[in-house]
Amino acid sequence: MARSVHDNPFVAPVEPVLELEDIQGAAVPGFLKPFQTLIGVRCLTGKETNFRKFVRGMSPNVSDARVTLKDRRDNREARKERTAKEPITLIGLAFSFRGLYKLTPGASSFGSEAFRIGMLGRSELLGDPTDPSDEGHPSNWKVGQPGQELDALVLVAGDTRECVERGCQLVLKELDAASMQVSWREDGAVRHDTIGGVSFKGHEHFGFNDGVSQPGIRGLASKDDPADFITDRHLSPDDVPAYWLNGYPGQTLVWPGEFLLGHPASSVDPMLPGRITPADPPWVRNGSFLVFRRLRQDVRLFWHFMHSEAARLAHEEGFHGLTAEKFASMLVGRWPSGAPFNRTSTYDIPGLGKDQMANNYFRFDSDTLPLEGVKDPYPMAKADPAGTTCPLAAHIRKVNTRDSGSDTGSQDSTYKRRLFRAGIPFGKPLDDPFAPEGNDPEKGERGLLFLSIQASIEDQFEFLCARWANDPSRPKMPGGHDFIIGQNGAPDGQGTRRCVIFGSNLKESHISTTRRWVIPTGGGYFFLPSKSALTGVLGS
Amino acid sequence: MGLYPKFDPPAHMKDLDRVPGLADQWSKAVSHWFDATLKAEASRFQKSKVDPYIQYFNPVKEHPDGPLIEQAITWNAFPKELLRQFGRERAMAEADRLWPLSWYRKYPPSGFAVAPAGVLDQTFYRPHDEYCEWRVFRDEATGKIKKVVFVSEPPEFYRALWGGWVEGFHFDADPAQVLALYREYVSPEVQLKDLVASETINVGGVLATKGAYNPYNKWNTTHGIMHLCAPPNTLAAEIQLGGDASIVYVDDHNRLLVEPDVLVCSTGYGGPDRSSDPTIGGTVNALARLGARTTLTNPVGLYMDHIDLAGWSVPDAGSVTELVKVVRGSLDSIERLEVEVPAGRGFTLSEVTIGGEPIRFGGQIAECITVKLVATAIIPPDRRKPTPVRWTRHSYIDPAFPIQLQRSIPFGKPTPPGSVQALIDQGLGAGVGTEKHMEERAFEAEPAFEAGEAAFEAVEPEFTLTRRI
Repeated sequence: MARSVHDNPFVAPVEPVLELEDIQGAAVPGFLKPFQTLIGVRCLTGKETNFRKFVRGMSPNVSDARVTLKDRRDNREARKERTAKEPITLIGLAFSFRGLYKLTPGASSFGSEAFRIGMLGRSELLGDPTDPSDEGHPSNWKVGQPGQELDALVLVAGDTRECVERGCQLVLKELDAASMQVSWREDGAVRHDTIGGVSFKGHEHFGFNDGVSQPGIRGLASKDDPADFITDRHLSPDDVPAYWLNGYPGQTLVWPGEFLLGHPASSVDPMLPGRITPADPPWVRNGSFLVFRRLRQDVRLFWHFMHSEAARLAHEEGFHGLTAEKFASMLVGRWPSGAPFNRTSTYDIPGLGKDQMANNYFRFDSDTLPLEGVKDPYPMAKADPAGTTCPLAAHIRKVNTRDSGSDTGSQDSTYKRRLFRAGIPFGKPLDDPFAPEGNDPEKGERGLLFLSIQASIEDQFEFLCARWANDPSRPKMPGGHDFIIGQNGAPDGQGTRRCVIFGSNLKESHISTTRRWVIPTGGGYFFLPSKSALTGVLGS
Repeated sequence: MGLYPKFDPPAHMKDLDRVPGLADQWSKAVSHWFDATLKAEASRFQKSKVDPYIQYFNPVKEHPDGPLIEQAITWNAFPKELLRQFGRERAMAEADRLWPLSWYRKYPPSGFAVAPAGVLDQTFYRPHDEYCEWRVFRDEATGKIKKVVFVSEPPEFYRALWGGWVEGFHFDADPAQVLALYREYVSPEVQLKDLVASETINVGGVLATKGAYNPYNKWNTTHGIMHLCAPPNTLAAEIQLGGDASIVYVDDHNRLLVEPDVLVCSTGYGGPDRSSDPTIGGTVNALARLGARTTLTNPVGLYMDHIDLAGWSVPDAGSVTELVKVVRGSLDSIERLEVEVPAGRGFTLSEVTIGGEPIRFGGQIAECITVKLVATAIIPPDRRKPTPVRWTRHSYIDPAFPIQLQRSIPFGKPTPPGSVQALIDQGLGAGVGTEKHMEERAFEAEPAFEAGEAAFEAVEPEFTLTRRI
């Protein structure tokens, strides 16, 4: 029989109370709003005083975690009650290393080499093209290109485009007051379109439900209520340790030091807090690193490849009847609805895709078993340690190994690699994203304004991109490159990506391509300081 | 008839052909080591009083029916134990120097022992326990890095070429052939007498016998690098680990153990803080849980799979790939890899950057190297349920230093004061299934043992091979 929190002899994890008034809401719990605008700011030499004035003016307008969490909860309540909620604008303010250094020389003691070097200097490590004629080469970027590196990035998010616009006006006013200008701006919006009666709300441009698997941050919102968790718990307290380890089923709870500096990070046991993530200089405590990467998605090319390869494979033994949608879903690891491929490998189950109590609940190395008291009527995942159902090269297996070991050892490494994704699509969606051909009024200019929150750029974002997504042998074999976000940046690799998939009766097929449908077109490494650092150090 | 007619030397290297019949001896030796492992696993079952069903097999003696999957198991070359113990910056420095064997698994708080200096204080090893070791060659005047040499060759290969007893198998060979390899790859100055152990070296297992080949000779430690020498980096240990991990384990409630961490802690088949052991064990065990027959793929060996050069930049805008040479082994089964700037290009490795960071340590290059072994699984059409064996050990954590899993200890033995048991209840699929469901699914296991040392003794097999320590 299951253990309960009431009769369990073991002690529940003791989670820290987070200082929500000091932490930016963009870091915790993250904005995740349907509309967002990113504004890039550059501070010219000699204008440091103006820059500081801008920061000082912006600081009171930066949304803290308390406000953002309340908004999240209000939204959830409104959805549940089917009522309307007052639209809200949220603002975040982040700085690159060069931007911080202009505000305080103390920035020089930042320990992160990646942050100091910046995304431009790390571009080759991320596998970006090294040929200057390539669209993805940094010299062709639309933001953060050489000579145009940003000093600050403002995130303006809201429930409506009007809310966001009001926030942008406020930013412009503060820039104007400081005699500064916008260097770059781009709007993003969560998809709300419908195609053939099917809603693509929340899907990225290739057509797949995005952001299904987010880690849950451990921590309490108040010291008076031991159950006031920042990440809601949806499992029964009568089922421990599952209750102590998950938010939604399969949503691993991660210690806050993996996202915030100065807080306990993961240990070797997910129930126990680990070391405090160093906060050096001290004012970086309660801050997070923010990675911004503008990724253009060539939707036509993606589906052209999926159609042509599926047609080729359909003639091979073990792959008869393979469709482009199923083939693409194998490479993503989920169907367009978000339904995990290893829970349903024959067809999509839209209900599973949108059911948060089920869509993240699966294991790779052993059979997944039903949870006590959880209504989950969908097929359970079977053990798939060699990737014969869901390929080891599938995007979701490349960036989150879950219960599997990896090239970095045991499961604790998986906890230490998670990042919180807060990106948003840019550009209008295609009328039919699954069609390999057709008119495109936007001329391919659509993609993702990728944003991620983490405590270590090296150990989280860069590790996932460079060491796992871009590497054919890691985290597990027989795998290959991540065919969604991966690049082959090896000097002798000529950009060729390869992977292995299995059909029926363990028939194996090797896929390869030199084409890229996710192209980096800008970005930068930033730091989201605490509210107290904004007012007490950077804007003072 | 087996799956393979014989075991080939690692990476099909031809060195054993220097001595007539030695390649055949090698095949027989590897087969012997498999048999020793199978015997040890059988004793584990027998002493557990359950019907032995050993899923691990010797592939030159057996060829189970069924579809076959080869699964390379990969891990990073940089020692995770050092990362956990010291953090990256200090781990890099620690990894680039030799440690006295007296430090092995007993890292002292301060400096070298002064007096009396025993053999272990004067014998050195590289603290690289991920089956890949390296040596940094610096310019004596400037300290700049001229060359870094990486190896994955097991010591057994050289002990075999030397001749004598190796893990219970006697080789008739020729020490002069070992000398020739050292002179070819390390230094023409190597003398035969340099390679002989003047004392027996024992760290809880004999690493070298007086008068025999000494893997810790100066040309493989203080003066050069030829093959793996860290105590756990042996081929026999790899074979043994594969066997230990091919058994399905259950806890006291007959619930399957499935998590890599918990498996390594509950069975003691390796180091829980390494990258290699938990993932090797976890991967093999996952195949065993499916009912697969498992073994290691011929040629049994430890290899560098590849070096990832993405993000490497050189000051002259020339070729990066030119810096890397596969010297022994083959392109995807590398045994010796040398990283060096070709003469005439006018810079050293210290001027090369990875992601914008200049190379200051050999460990930065090790971070780019993937090590592997290859396992084979065969799913028999009439596969039977695995016979589970009850867990025998558990690990613990010092809450004040919760980033290391301490080596597991047998049930019944007291944990150190202040420590807490690690991973309670989580090896059963943490948060993924109730005990009830687990119980419904659990295989029928042997009768429960009495807690305590007696239970441990009852199931711990008699090992004849050097284990992964």
